[in-house]
Amino acid sequence: MHDEKINRLHEMKKKAEIGGGQEKIEAQHTKGKLTARERLDLLLDSNSFIEIDKYVVHRSIESDSTKYYGDGVITGFGTVNGRKVFVYAYDFTILGGSLGEMAGRKIVKLMDHAIKVGAPLIGILDSGGARIQEGVMSLDGYGDIFFRNTMASGVIPQITASIGPCAGGAVYSPAMTDFVIMVENIGQMFVTGPEVVKEVLSQEVSFEDLGGARTHSTKSGVAHFVAENEYECMDKIKKLISFIPQNNLEISPSIESQDDPNRLEPDFSKILPENPYEQYDMKQIIKLLVDKGDFLEVHEHFAENIVVGFARIDGKSVGIIANQPMYLAGALDINSSTKAARFIRFCDCFNIPIVTLVDTPGYLPGTDQEHNGIIRHGSKLLYAYCEATVPKVTCIIGKAYGGAYIAMGSKNLRADINYAWPTAEIAVLGPEAAITIVHRKDLKTSKNPVEIKKKLAKEYRQKFANPYIAAEKGIIDLVIDPLETRIMIVKALDVLQNKRESRPIRKHGNINL
Amino acid sequence: MGKLISSILIANRGEIALRVIRACKEMKIKSIALYSDEDLRSKHVKSADEAYYLGPPAPTKSYLSIDRIIEIAVSAGAEAIHPGYGFLSENETFAAKCEEKGIIFIGPTSEAMALTGDKMKCKEIMKKAEVPTIPGSDDILEEVDKAVEVAEEAGYPVLLKSAYGGGGRGIRFANDEKTLREEFEMAAAESRAAFGKSGLYVEKFLQGIRHIEFQLARDSSGNGRHLFERECSIQRRHQKLIEFSPSSVVDKKTRSKIGEIAVRAAESVDYLNAGTAEFLRDEKGNFYFIEVNSRLQVEHPVTELVTGIDLVKLQIKIARGEEIPFKQDDLNMNGSAIECRINAEDPFHDFVPSVGLVPDCNLPYGPGVRVDTYLYPGCNVSGYYDSLVAKLITWGQDFNEARVRMSNALDEFLIEGINTTIPLYRTIMTEKNFIEGKISTDYLEKYDMLNVMQNELKEKQLKESDAAIASALLFSEYLKGQYNTGNSSKDLSLSRWVKTGNSKNGI
Amino acid sequence: MEFKIDNQDNVLSGSINESSGDGKIVATINNKEHSMKIIGLKNNILEFMLDNSYRTAKILEYGSSHVKMLMNGEQIILKKHSKLTEILEKSMALGGSASGENKLFSQIPGRVVSIMVKVGDQIKKGDSVIVLESMKMQVAVKAHKDGEIKDTKVKIGDTVSRNDIVAVIE
Repeated sequence: MHDEKINRLHEMKKKAEIGGGQEKIEAQHTKGKLTARERLDLLLDSNSFIEIDKYVVHRSIESDSTKYYGDGVITGFGTVNGRKVFVYAYDFTILGGSLGEMAGRKIVKLMDHAIKVGAPLIGILDSGGARIQEGVMSLDGYGDIFFRNTMASGVIPQITASIGPCAGGAVYSPAMTDFVIMVENIGQMFVTGPEVVKEVLSQEVSFEDLGGARTHSTKSGVAHFVAENEYECMDKIKKLISFIPQNNLEISPSIESQDDPNRLEPDFSKILPENPYEQYDMKQIIKLLVDKGDFLEVHEHFAENIVVGFARIDGKSVGIIANQPMYLAGALDINSSTKAARFIRFCDCFNIPIVTLVDTPGYLPGTDQEHNGIIRHGSKLLYAYCEATVPKVTCIIGKAYGGAYIAMGSKNLRADINYAWPTAEIAVLGPEAAITIVHRKDLKTSKNPVEIKKKLAKEYRQKFANPYIAAEKGIIDLVIDPLETRIMIVKALDVLQNKRESRPIRKHGNINL
Repeated sequence: MGKLISSILIANRGEIALRVIRACKEMKIKSIALYSDEDLRSKHVKSADEAYYLGPPAPTKSYLSIDRIIEIAVSAGAEAIHPGYGFLSENETFAAKCEEKGIIFIGPTSEAMALTGDKMKCKEIMKKAEVPTIPGSDDILEEVDKAVEVAEEAGYPVLLKSAYGGGGRGIRFANDEKTLREEFEMAAAESRAAFGKSGLYVEKFLQGIRHIEFQLARDSSGNGRHLFERECSIQRRHQKLIEFSPSSVVDKKTRSKIGEIAVRAAESVDYLNAGTAEFLRDEKGNFYFIEVNSRLQVEHPVTELVTGIDLVKLQIKIARGEEIPFKQDDLNMNGSAIECRINAEDPFHDFVPSVGLVPDCNLPYGPGVRVDTYLYPGCNVSGYYDSLVAKLITWGQDFNEARVRMSNALDEFLIEGINTTIPLYRTIMTEKNFIEGKISTDYLEKYDMLNVMQNELKEKQLKESDAAIASALLFSEYLKGQYNTGNSSKDLSLSRWVKTGNSKNGI
Repeated sequence: MEFKIDNQDNVLSGSINESSGDGKIVATINNKEHSMKIIGLKNNILEFMLDNSYRTAKILEYGSSHVKMLMNGEQIILKKHSKLTEILEKSMALGGSASGENKLFSQIPGRVVSIMVKVGDQIKKGDSVIVLESMKMQVAVKAHKDGEIKDTKVKIGDTVSRNDIVAVIE
């Protein structure tokens, strides 16, 4: 019965699912891009997607304009490897994916659902920007979205995938989400586009150079991940989700550990060179530490002097922060401080324990750093560590000098357990610098300053550049054999699982932005 | 006049280093290994009694750096050096320097090496010793006209080769005079670039040829023996892929006759220790001498299995000054052995090299199965050295048993993380012409084996497609179950989220 | 879901019909119904029953675009969403607006031993652009399309990793 009415529904469904029409779909394909529905198909488990607001119609401006269903964005919920998520994907085939008033309302409704249910929100961007014809009402849409992004921040994980253009004010939504992944050569984000740049500043710059994936993953740090193609983009999102919980009241999913928690690792001491001035790749140490060497690095190409990312230790999700001696000798600077600080705060929002590996000679000197505010930005890292109440385990591997030693998860910032390797050097300054200052008079008057300096530096090294002074004062909980590092960290995390720590009640602190 | 060798430095790496170390262990000789940065965790380093650091990965800075190796040998107190194959094994300067420092070089003298290394001189000597050689030029050709003359006499088609290069590289083919003239210029330029001199020679190209070589051994008392033949006709770009013994076209009489010729060849250059005399055999059954390889060869296990003689131990004994402990008539051929050279190359994509970590590997074993390899789960295959990762050798009472054992062993041989040429050998082992012995050096092209291999793989994959798809579906179901948490878990009790939100104080 | 075995053209299909609580799964594969059950999965080695026979496969890679596994010693790559891949590959080949297609990537790691072209040269698809040495073999990286060499990104002696850009062809 009711065949006619049911048939009408099927007709509507077909119309809605064709988006802007077969021609527009082909145009999308020709550009090497998938349509919004195809993307959702790749991301979500098969047959799990339920679309809402499918038949919402845009505010038609011209009286003879075609009626499109969905108003340029597809919203709904589904599962990713069994995990419930809320998704929205801009549909470029409808009016260039531009945001109209109804589209804005759809997205906002979806975000409200996600916040109510406490499930991750994933946005796929592919949009020409605000719909000029709808005037201020489309800006209205953005404003509402920004508000929800802020309300959801730290409540549910928010991930944005940039698989197409995103320009103007619209870029602030992804900026407020937790992670941004851009697809090479397709994803683009900028506040003002190349044409305006050319007009106003007479500067010629391509779309890619101004706001492509490479630019944002290496220079600006706006993008946390880069994917070579749309397949890899979805795979990275799935991988990321596997490390984080549904919302800020849950713990991350843990799996049965596939890697022996009692694994001794003799290679740790082999990777660390005898000569403390020699470079080595911290990522090798991380790969040996975590389960199966499986490490999802965040901001891989940005501020490479510090490495941050997710991994599992004994099956449980952890956030790793480590200096990278291969770049700038592992010194801290503006970008690395902000990169690590943001990552720590995310982990703290979502109950993910933090493991810090330290080998840093200090802060990068220079007018560039000072004039750009290393003082302000450096403080963010200290603030983030102090503020975090998740289990924090630190292990000092090599150098840990001065302020940088404090900044990298030291005891005073309320790290819970602090280990150090016998090769750790904890001091106010490195040997050379310290000798130059402390023995300035002697060096000036001596006949062989170079030799004396060497001798004093050696003495200094033996006296101060070791972990035992700190251990004697209880600032380092235990000096451990590198061989046992993994076991010690597993046990520390295990006992800290049930940790609770409070902070004074306040609206929020005043982190130096 | 025996010199006691109590320590040997192995100036090589990979599977051959392991092979020599094994012989040392059997003879209670101290083994000293060398390693570059790439080989710190190699099996040969772990097996040796002592190991010394050579230098950076590049061969010129490590395994080819004569001075460094001699320096280490002297400071480590090595009494002898085994050069393996490749690297410095046929380098007269190296052999001479060893002799200078009083270190026994396990191989021929530097003079013998110089003789065998110079193709033209060698040919001259062989002719004098009445060893049949391939029609072609007797001298190095400096001008193209002389080359054409020689080619006309020998008869087209001809091969243009460099007198100084070796191991099958840089060989050019010419069907007629015009092509010969074109190729000559290019080949001369290449030779100048590679060796500093443009010495080329012309050789008649033989059709339907088989490559058959004889294993030799000669001691310091002048006793020369041959240890029968190996057939190495299955090649690709003049590199051997499969070797086996005995050859199906060599009968007892021929074996004896050519074996004798091979021994004569060794005598004529006053050869010492182990070596191989390589011949080509045409369709009519004529044998032509090509060259003497003055080293232990990759395919030596084939001979070891059919004669029962440990060739590396024999080398060490000869180096000690001992006489070869058997007479020619004492040797007997027993059964049949086949070797497949397993390279880290992708046979489906033009044999592109494949390097990297081998997370896991499963070596075959059982009666008549031998694997010579440096692989172990977690090892690294380096791009700095050659692509041979393993030699799989099987023995059987006859060719067929060896072949079937090889086929099954190849099926069991699993190497993860890199592409290998195992699929090609799987296809060849069951191919009709190979089974019937109808082979020649153009076997791969003649029977389009690469295509046959591709098709066999496709069929196998199709057959398995149901199970493969089932695996994919099941794995995705498994992933769904793995990451349950919070409001996604199967636990139906109220989640913390709901409980906290519903409370009066709500967060 | 449709699948394709890498390098083969047949389109295969597989989907799960029902999954009961005790681990038994019924699926339709290539139009035939099968019953399956996971026995275990450890270290990516999957053991299962497929219609009463024991099967095992080692899953090497699992992603949105493909599944790579080892079964009976053979490596099998199953491509998923083959239609979408076709679309993407076709449009890339048409030399779309994205500048990605102009980049020539190296398929293998190696050291640059010779550069066969210079900026401005007109070349055809398949021409050798640079020659790499790896495992003592020389392998040429060939042009993936016709065009003009706009830039060479390497010089002789450089070490190149897999997927590094070696040249730009427009």
